[in-house]
Amino acid sequence: MEVFLKEIFGSRITTDPFELEQYTKDIAYIPPILVRLLAKPWPRAVVQAEEPREIASLMQWACQSRIPVTVRGGGSSAYFNAVPVQAGIVLDMNRMQGVGVVHMTGKAEEAAVWVQAGTTWYDADERLRRQGYTLRSYPTSAPAATVGGWISLGGLGIGSIRYGPLREQILGVRAVTAGGEIVQVDNPGLKSEAEASSEGGGLCFDDFFGMEGTRAVITEAHLKVRPLPEKEAHLVVFFRDVEATGRLMQGLGQISSVFNVHFSSPAFVAALQKKGYAPELPQGHHCLAVDLAGRQSEVEQAVEAIQRQAQSLGGEGLATEAGEAEWSSRFKALRLKQTWPSLQAAELLLPVEHFAAFEEALTKLANQKHTVVVTYAHLVSPQTVLIMTLFPSDELNTLRYLGDLSFISRIYAVGKLFGGKPYVVGLWNTSYLSDIYPPKELKRRWERKQKLDQQNILNPGKAYQAPLFLSRLVFKLGMGFLGAMRPLLSAGRKKDA
Amino acid sequence: MPKTKTDLEERIARTSYVCGRCGSCRSVCPVYQEIKWESSSPRGKIALAKDIFVKHKSDKITESYTQRLLECTLCGRCEEICAADVHTRVLWLDLRESLRETGRLHPNFQRLGEQVASTHNISPTANEFRLDWTVDLDDFEVPEGKVESEVAYFVGCVSSFYPQLADIPQSIVKILEQAQASYTVLGGEEWCCGFPLISAGMSGEARKLAGHNIEKVRALGVKTLITGCASCFHTWSKEYPRLLGEAGGEVEKELGFEVLHVTEYFARLLREKRLMPVSMAETVTYHDPCDLGRNSGVYEAPREILLSIPGLEYVEMFRNRESADCCGGGGNLQMVDSALSQAIATRRVGAAVESGASILVSACQQCVQTLREAARKERLPLEVRDITELLWEVLDRK
Repeated sequence: MEVFLKEIFGSRITTDPFELEQYTKDIAYIPPILVRLLAKPWPRAVVQAEEPREIASLMQWACQSRIPVTVRGGGSSAYFNAVPVQAGIVLDMNRMQGVGVVHMTGKAEEAAVWVQAGTTWYDADERLRRQGYTLRSYPTSAPAATVGGWISLGGLGIGSIRYGPLREQILGVRAVTAGGEIVQVDNPGLKSEAEASSEGGGLCFDDFFGMEGTRAVITEAHLKVRPLPEKEAHLVVFFRDVEATGRLMQGLGQISSVFNVHFSSPAFVAALQKKGYAPELPQGHHCLAVDLAGRQSEVEQAVEAIQRQAQSLGGEGLATEAGEAEWSSRFKALRLKQTWPSLQAAELLLPVEHFAAFEEALTKLANQKHTVVVTYAHLVSPQTVLIMTLFPSDELNTLRYLGDLSFISRIYAVGKLFGGKPYVVGLWNTSYLSDIYPPKELKRRWERKQKLDQQNILNPGKAYQAPLFLSRLVFKLGMGFLGAMRPLLSAGRKKDA
Repeated sequence: MPKTKTDLEERIARTSYVCGRCGSCRSVCPVYQEIKWESSSPRGKIALAKDIFVKHKSDKITESYTQRLLECTLCGRCEEICAADVHTRVLWLDLRESLRETGRLHPNFQRLGEQVASTHNISPTANEFRLDWTVDLDDFEVPEGKVESEVAYFVGCVSSFYPQLADIPQSIVKILEQAQASYTVLGGEEWCCGFPLISAGMSGEARKLAGHNIEKVRALGVKTLITGCASCFHTWSKEYPRLLGEAGGEVEKELGFEVLHVTEYFARLLREKRLMPVSMAETVTYHDPCDLGRNSGVYEAPREILLSIPGLEYVEMFRNRESADCCGGGGNLQMVDSALSQAIATRRVGAAVESGASILVSACQQCVQTLREAARKERLPLEVRDITELLWEVLDRK
């Protein structure tokens, strides 16, 4: 294996355990005991690709040798998406970086650019700004997340409220299939995945988008971009009442120059302020940071309209500096770790109309379970909010940490009551597959995967089926047990508040 | 209060536990950009530190771990972008300190420590020859140890002992003479500022140097200390208060005099019209030294100087100010892996050429030396100069 891989990748391969260990994790801490039960995260080798031809050779060899390949970008997700579940090879994409020249394309003469998959969104935006353009949307993890990674995870984040999901901003991708074929697939006018499946036809755009690296390796994306806006504005409005906050959020989705809406719960603000962050935000309030971009007159009118609307709902506004401070710290949510170094989290999509009710129910649950829970969220469409809930735990206390895992399932259960579902599947959320997709859709997705990756080489063990210990029944029993044990494992929880 | 091993270990544990492994630090780290393996990234190094200091996995202390800790320029880019606001630069210094405390000091660092202990500077030359760079100055004599001068010029080891960089201190004193400033140098009483030792994990030794230097400058009764070295400036303004347990205090109040980089002082002289630049028809860009810019907060003074020069076309490099890329010359990296340092420098001079500049200016001898070497090796059409050399060249000397 090593000899062959060296022929392709030269010095860009490692089998050194010191190095391999780094690729056995992503941002979420999972107790080793649990990892051992569910996955084989140690790769046999890590290779770094520089061009699609190398990836094609790797995939052809992997198919023949039946060795799994896990694609890794920034490794900045929390669901084991970029970590092997069945050992094999990790394909590190971080050498494939670069941003092309912005050009006009299509009938609408829209600005677009080719970006290599290993480029971070932050870097892509920096380079675009030199050309007088900027991204339409990007993840809150933009400094870490790669273009290929976020496309694979479905792409909802900053700017989605204005420009829609990332899917609508990609004109096409270049990729390598599981069988090792180099392809280019355009987005507009394509058959849907369902159509392609029913016809038994070739690849379609949906085989690349949001598939968590299980059907093909994205090497480059053709992104729609926007000219630098004439005017930007950043404001903060705040409410005592979460219901009014939710109502304003629903209204904000209708304003065309709104580029980003970020919610911070009172507990989130309080936790940041414990360490001296976000001093501009008022205590005990639900805060909405609203960012606008567009033509000057349009933005100014929108700012006035939002302020009026907030006032009519009993809210108040803060000086522009507060909005700018929030905007400039948009990639810094993890400052929360200065207050609680060990956190657990649940991330879910929820209809915005139920946001306030969800928050109230979550607060009630948190009080019942004597757990401090904080929320921050982004409005990602006029109808949908992407919510991150976090609570302190203690990875140095394995029993407590395991017990706390059960609380994540409680949060998802509350979310489900209000029409919510987990955002990403990966490995850890395979238990929730039936909450995320209807059974027919699940079946169809799996059939499609089998069709395109007959040997199940690309990122196996994720996104389609749960392993035994994460299967619905076993998972429910496990979480029930841990939930029952949790009050006994709560050492240190009082101190969190 | 002297730092104990337990304090050090606790601090490393506390800091590394906060890291969220998000990886924002990776794409900006100059070392990771070259090596590209996760263990060379800041988050990779912190993961190792966390295993060792939080989870007490002492088997993780290997040669590979030690090597990775030393493959760092201490540029501070990771700290600037960190999503969890981890103070990485202090962490890297603490981790190097821990290597020293467990007998894992790099042999070149060991030699450096012995060198400084013996000569009080980073070269084998005796410290009394600190003013050798003044020998070529025929028009005036550089005042040494002149009490009650307004300004003390702290020359720094690199300027003092590397003849190929002698133009820099010479330009500085010529400019001071031109402005008729009341200044002095310390001569043999100037000891290494301690920065190379702090970077090597030997802050105890650096503390002794700090004590000596402060005492000697205080004895001169000056109002202002200036230095042309970005690292000396950072050490005087940020590390001395920290080393001496005076962190949080105002530097001037603690030391009894203000500390300025020469660019700040010269910008002041330009504003006071004590220096008058004449024209220069060149396109110039400026490289922010990490220790002057990101790690000390001085961004505008060097730009103010360049923009005051009539006819000079000033262009910014793609990454500048707090986002400026490192030159590769910091953190004692050259002592550990000179090829890696050079590769980082090559990237930076490439960015300078891309900016359209014909002259790359910096405000740090180490940066100038590293970037000059990279430009020469790459045969780039780029002249690398210290800002003081450029300023002296364009001053109206009537």
